[in-house]
This record gives sequence, C-alpha cells and structure tokens, in this order.
Amino acid sequence: MSAAMKSSLSNKLQQNVSSCKILVVGAGGIGCELLKNLALTGFSDIEVIDLDTIDVSNLNRQFLFRKEHVGKSKSQVAKESTLKFNPDVNIVAYHDSVMNPDYGVNFFKKFKLVMNALDNRAARNHVNRMCLAADVPLVESGTAGYLGQVTVIKKGLTECYECRPKATQKTFPGCTIRNTPSEPIHCVVWAKHLFNQLFGEDDPDQDVSPDTEDPELTAEAGEKALEKETEGNGKDLERKSTRVWAVENGYNPEKIFSKLFRDDIKYLLSMEALWKTRRPPEPLDWSNLSDATPSSATQMRDQRIWSMKECGEVFGNCLGKLKVDLAAQGEDGMLVWDKDDETALDFVVSAANIRANIFGISQKSRFDIKSMAGNIIPAIATTNAIIAALIVMEALKILNDQFDKCTTVYLNRKPNFRKKLLDAGRLDKPNPKCYVCSAKPEVTVVLNTQKITIKFLEEKILKGDLGMVAPDVEIDNGMGTIIISSEEGETEENNEKLLSSFGIINGSRLKCDDFLQNYNLNITIAHVEKLEDEKDFMVVGDMAELQAKLEENSKKKEEGTGAALEKSKEEEEDDLEIIDDTEAMETAPTDTSPKKRKADELDCTPTAKKQKKSIGGDGDADVVEIL
Amino acid sequence: MGEENITEAEAALYDRQIRLWGLDAQKRLRAAKVLLIGIKGLGAEVAKNIVLSGIKSLTILDHTQVDEEDKLSQFLIPREEIGKNRAVSSLERTQLLNPMVNVTADTDDVADKNDDFFKQYDVICATCCPSSILCKINNICSENNIKYFAGDVFGYYGYMFADLGKHEFAEEVPKMNQKQESSQQGEECGDGEPAPKKIKKDEKETVVVKKEEIFSRLQSALDVDWSTTEIKTKIKRTPTAHFITLAIFDFMEKNKRRPQLSTSEEDSKQLLECRKMIIEKNQLDDKYLPENFIEHCFAELSPICAIVGGVLGQEIIKAVSQKDAPHNNFFFYNGVEGTGMVDKIGN
Ligand SMILES: [Zn+2]
Repeated sequence: MSAAMKSSLSNKLQQNVSSCKILVVGAGGIGCELLKNLALTGFSDIEVIDLDTIDVSNLNRQFLFRKEHVGKSKSQVAKESTLKFNPDVNIVAYHDSVMNPDYGVNFFKKFKLVMNALDNRAARNHVNRMCLAADVPLVESGTAGYLGQVTVIKKGLTECYECRPKATQKTFPGCTIRNTPSEPIHCVVWAKHLFNQLFGEDDPDQDVSPDTEDPELTAEAGEKALEKETEGNGKDLERKSTRVWAVENGYNPEKIFSKLFRDDIKYLLSMEALWKTRRPPEPLDWSNLSDATPSSATQMRDQRIWSMKECGEVFGNCLGKLKVDLAAQGEDGMLVWDKDDETALDFVVSAANIRANIFGISQKSRFDIKSMAGNIIPAIATTNAIIAALIVMEALKILNDQFDKCTTVYLNRKPNFRKKLLDAGRLDKPNPKCYVCSAKPEVTVVLNTQKITIKFLEEKILKGDLGMVAPDVEIDNGMGTIIISSEEGETEENNEKLLSSFGIINGSRLKCDDFLQNYNLNITIAHVEKLEDEKDFMVVGDMAELQAKLEENSKKKEEGTGAALEKSKEEEEDDLEIIDDTEAMETAPTDTSPKKRKADELDCTPTAKKQKKSIGGDGDADVVEIL
Repeated sequence: MGEENITEAEAALYDRQIRLWGLDAQKRLRAAKVLLIGIKGLGAEVAKNIVLSGIKSLTILDHTQVDEEDKLSQFLIPREEIGKNRAVSSLERTQLLNPMVNVTADTDDVADKNDDFFKQYDVICATCCPSSILCKINNICSENNIKYFAGDVFGYYGYMFADLGKHEFAEEVPKMNQKQESSQQGEECGDGEPAPKKIKKDEKETVVVKKEEIFSRLQSALDVDWSTTEIKTKIKRTPTAHFITLAIFDFMEKNKRRPQLSTSEEDSKQLLECRKMIIEKNQLDDKYLPENFIEHCFAELSPICAIVGGVLGQEIIKAVSQKDAPHNNFFFYNGVEGTGMVDKIGN
C-alpha cells in the first residue's frame, strides 16, 4: 500500500496493518474471502498455506478460482488472484499441510497474527497448539450453511480451541449397523462398510455380516444361531472374510446379492430375539426384484427414488466396474471410497437402498445419500464473506492494541430477541484444567490395558483423539521406559504389544511429549474391562470427571437395558449425521493424502443438538457452536 | 420460474448451495433479472455474491468514474482504471465469476432513467444514491411488484434496506413430533405376540410452511418522528448506525455526493452540521448519534462492505428464491461497536 493513500483506518492502525506479517491457514471458502479483504484493507505481508487442489464444486463460492483452475493448487491460485486486487502485497503461498513438521514453532513465531480458515478439527487442534507454543494470537473461524462463528485465542488470556471438550464424531453401535438398522443413515454406513469389505482396506470394525454378539441376544440365542450357521446354509461363508469369498466367486453379482440380501437376512431372522419388538426384515430375491417406483415429481436420476429392480441392476453393474478398477490397482491394491467417484457412489446408493427396503426403512435419493455418505456440509458465498470479514475486524482490534475489545461473534440465521443477527460475546478465560493450555496438562484415559496395543495408543488415542502429530512417550515409572518414539524405527517392535506387557496398569502414568507442537502431556491410565457402547477408550479430564461418568453409566443400567437402548437411539437422532470421510469444505485439509483423510473432523462440529435445530430453521438459534 | 430442469453442469457447480436451499430455489434464482445501481465496494460484494449464486442476468448501472478510494474496497476494478467508468471497468471480472450469468454494464445516470427502464427487472438493488433517488426508485418498484433493496457503506458503518412489498415465502419448520405408537397398543394385540413397533421414522422431519411478510417503503422510515413519545421508548433499542445513516443521507442530499476522503476536512464540518440537524429535529439524546462518527465514516472499509454485502446478497437470494424469512426491513452494521442488527423502522 502506498504510504500516501489514506483509508478509513487511523494512521497508527494503518501503519500496524501494513507492517505486520500474518499467516492465513486455508485458502478455501473462508480463505478466499479473507485474502481479498486483507489485500484491500492494507495488509501487505501475507503467507498462506493450503494443501488442497481446486474442485468444480468449490467454484460457487471460492471466487478466486475459475473453471480453468480446477485441479491446481488452491494456495497458489489464490495468491495470483489476490495480487490482482493489490499488486503491492507480498504473498508467500505454500501448497502443503500445516501439520507438516517443516512448520514448527519458529515458523509460527514469525507472525504477528495467525488466521484460521480451516474445515477440520485435527488442523484446528494443531494450529491452536502451535500458536500457544509460539505465543501468537490466533483468530479462529468456521461456517456451516447459513451459520458462522469467529473467535480469538490468546495464550493465557482466553480459552484455547481445546479448552472445552467438543462433541465427538457420531458413531453407531456395530450391532445396529449389522443387525438392526432403523434409519437410512444406518444403511448408508453399512453400504460404505460393504464397499471397504469388498474393495477397500480391511477393517474388522467394518464387518457387514450378522453380528452374533449382539447384546440384545442372550448368550444362548447367539450360540443357537451359530450352530445353525455351521450346520446350515451358511457353512461356506463362515469365518471367511467377505473379500476372500467375493474374489473366489469372481464378484458375481447374483451370488453376492443373494448372500447379502437373502441368506444373511434369513440368518438375521433366525435371531428371533431381535424381532420381538421390531418389524422383521424381508429377504429379497435377485431374480424377482420389483420395478415399482415411488411417485416422484422429478425424473432426474440424482433426485428420484430408484426401484429395487434398478437398485439391483446398478449394484450388479457397479460390482463389475469396481472389480476392474480393483484389478487395475495390482496385486495388493485396494480402492478408497470417494463420494466424487460416480461408481463408488452408485454402489453405496444401490446397496443402501436395497438394505433400507429389506428393513422397511424409507429410501433416499442419490443426491441425499451423497450428502450422508460424503458428510457434505453445505456452503455458500455470503456466509463465508461475512465470516471472513469478521476475522479482519477482530484482527484490526488486536493490531490496534485493543485486545480487551476482542469478541467471539456468531452469525445467526435470524436476529435474536435483541435484534442481533451478529451476536458478539466476551471471550472466556482459559480453562485451568485444559489438557492443552494449562500449565501442567493432565488427562485420564480409560481403557483396557490388556486389549489396547501400543500402536492403537499412538494412532487412535494420541494422534487421533489427543491431536498430537509426532509423540514420544515414556512410562513414568522411575526407569523412563520409552514405549513410543517419534524417531522412525526406534520403537516399531512395540507396535503390536499390549500396554499390559509393559507393566502398564490402572493408575500408571505416561509422559507424552510432542516436540513439533512443543507440547507435554501427562496421561493417567484408568483400567476397565469394558466400556459402554463398544468404545475402545475414553478420554476424561481427571478422576473426578471419570467418577461422574461411571456413575451416570451405572444409573443408565439400573433403568434396565431396554430403556438404555431406547435412550441411546434417541440420542442418535439428535446428532448430526457424521460418518466417515469429511468433506474438505472451507478448507485446508491437513493430512498428506486428501483422499484418505478420515474425519473425526466434522467441519465445524457444533454441539450437535443446537446446530441441528437451527438448521431445521426454527429461528431463534441464539448461540450455535460452529468451531 | 424456469421450469426446465437444472443441467448437469449447473448441478455440479451449484451442488453445495442446492444442498442448502434446494432445487426449486436454484431454479428461481436462474430466472431472476437483477439491476444493481452503483458499484463501489458494497456494490462489488453484492455483485460477486449474487452472480456466484447463479441468477439469470445482472445489469450494472453506474455513471461515475473510478477514483483512488476504489482501491480500498472495489476488487472488481483493475487498479489501472482510474478515471474510467465504474460499471464498464467492473464488467470483465464480474463476468468471470460465473460464465452462466449474463452480465452487462450501463453507464447512464440513474436519475436520467425513465420509469419503464426499471420495469424489466425482478430485483433492483440501489447503492451510492442520495435518499431522494432511493425513495423514487422504491416507489416505482412498489407499484410494479419489483423486489427492492438499498444499501451503502460509510467507513465503519453500513446499512441495508429491503422493501419486498407483500412477500410470500416458504420456510422449513420442524414437524411436530407425532406421538409414537405406544407400547400399550402392542400389548393389547393379545396372543402374547406384541405387534412390531413402528420404526419407520425419518431423521428430523421438517415440513414446509407458507408464510407472508409485509414491508413498508423507505420514505416511511425516513419520516419517522423520533421525538414523539410512543417512538421515544424504541430509541434505546434502535441501532446508532441508523441515525448515523440519517446524518449522511442529509449530507448526500445537500451535496449530491457521498462524503469523500479527498475532501474529508470540509466534509467533516458539514457532517457535524447534519448531525446537529438530525438531533434537533428528533430531539435525540447526543449519545444516539455520537460526534466521533465523523472519524470513522469515510471511504468504504473492505470488511464492512463484505459484511453488509454478504447480508444484502443473501437477502436478494432469499427474495428471489422465496425461501426463508427475509429481514424486515433494515440491517445495520456498526464496525466501531461491532454490532450487526436487524430492525423494523417505519410502518
Ligand atoms: Zn485450553
């Protein structure tokens, strides 16, 4: 910005704006709008990082990109387009993941301010920690449809991103998916699992066959069913992986259909206890599928409901195509389910609808199933524009030494009773017990030390739930036994060993250190035999919280299993449908392989109940957590 | 409303918004002809938002020339275009935002346009105009069932006004929970065999209801006498940005232009006069129109344009698609206070 040019900013502020170096994390929906605002407001030293490339579905809002840019780096194209608004800005673009170790604490220390324009929790957790470690103020943001939020995080003064526990990703109990689906989403999850069983990565948690260990079955009934299986028609299938069986049968559509949608269903019917209070499923016959279609206003393939006959045909065709795709991957190749792959989507649509029909669940259009299976969060230009602008307004306060005036701002769908469409609130103080930003971060992890492996501890608990990137872990036993090292190859032999084999028992303490995040965490292990809802582990703040949770659980049990089941069903309905892969929405995705990005990271995971409500449109959504 | 189906290319491009507002809303959008009067910073934001959304056509009407101030907020004009016509200079970049929208520029002065000109549009959005022009176009729109919007940004402050006449719209509301078949029923079936419980229920069902909202003209908001006792009680909850806007309207009426950075010293003095006039006329307490607004009301601050333009753009989309409750009838953003409020002013 030329020094002579005046603006509506005060001279001092104008000077601070033009001289400070800032980092923008994410060049997606919010990022594009943000870069435009920054360049026009007079920011002249900007670095931007995003690992994503441009997709056609971005173009309705990510206005720095055009059709000819599809497939190119978001950060690079965003830089070039922004320079056209103001060629005097110095922009450095990184086509990379912000979680890459190249961007350590010293990288973050270069900046006066960091602005997040992300869409996933893993990256938000990470940037939060980096900014705490580097002591750089962070302006955080998120959008979902018409709703949005902006907040400010500053070490020691405000809550950090992880001060309050976030609603976790919704998962469904395995037996609901495998035995007793009651909603369309259950069938969609099952169909995605089926895809992975047949063509993708083998994951024992994604079994699609009837589950004989359903807690609703008495031990006896389960055994009875098992017996039937071994003596009856199921004998070929028994204990053989779905994949091996499918390969042996050449992915023959009729055989696969008959196994999944006739024999397995008959087998489920034999578990009589399940159907005492439910509508029993009705097996389908490959050679006799109905071509009746529900009346529909549209003929668009994407929008109408398919008949069973059409589902069967699509299912068969997809098996054929996917078999070829799989073969093209070579010997140990596998396919990764992708909502944007037409065949992969068609496969899930047909399989989910066939299963829905069998269980008397309402069928869904291809369009709707894409949303559910791909966990797509709708996004529009206007919301992103408003939120990006609010980020700049908070940044201006920070640069004007008015940190006390910073707020957390919500964009509501309708004005609240105080007429506020934009609702600003005071920033909260840090949570003294926060396991990230407190002086001595502590956390308790509840698990079964005789079932959890070191690998599971590292991948699912430390890197997954606790957001670390490259942890080192030693047992606090006076001997400093190192069980996980971030140095490659140092502790790999431990991977498959159980925690108990290192003498880890109830009350054991682990010292975890993530060098990149400059983050130390002490973990206390609480050993239990079994957790509720088939969970493998649970992270709680401290022992008192654990005690409270356990009491709550036992109370649930007292109400009787039936009541407990009923309850958990209701809870499911209140949650957003979050399945596996998160869509890279307003984004800088962070993993190294965008396609395989798993999503514990619903964009802007809200307290699900509130969010759902306001999206339903009842208006007075006062406060909706988007971040 | 365009009856033909959305093409595959449109479905792919607009996928993420169709998932939000539905196919019918998108069809209505692609049939809408919009006139945008004035394309400075706020106009650029509005143009971007509605062109991206996929309207049928946009006409940009502006007879003024690009100046230094545009560099602070007008991203649709290339930097080297100073002195050229704003509408023409904005044309290329606006078109590039979405090749499916027909974008044209008109360099006439809005004051010279006859009534018939306005009748070819479904929506008219006026920015950068003095209030007399805003009211005149408002009246034409009212008489011809054209959805009318006005808006402007002055430094840290901005407003949006809407007059949609008698506006019908659809809104999704949560369906009243039908009481589930009680287990009692099952037990009464006798035979010891309880009837299967009804499990067919969709996740969070909503129903679409038709609603209606009545708007009033801008003139009635300008005519409000804030000194009368029944109105006085409302003042406390009226956004200060409204009174700031009134003072600037007064300035623009007198000078036939907006306050400018290049003449900010003189303009400030005049603005204080305007402020005094508004305060006296309405017997306002000083605090509802603080003197220091003159420090923050020059040029257009980019983020303020984005906030007001975002709300305005979304209101245009709502009006066209007849989906969701519109804001009736003002939105004010005050960047000094950090407040964004919707208020109904006038009757
Ligand atoms: Zn914290």
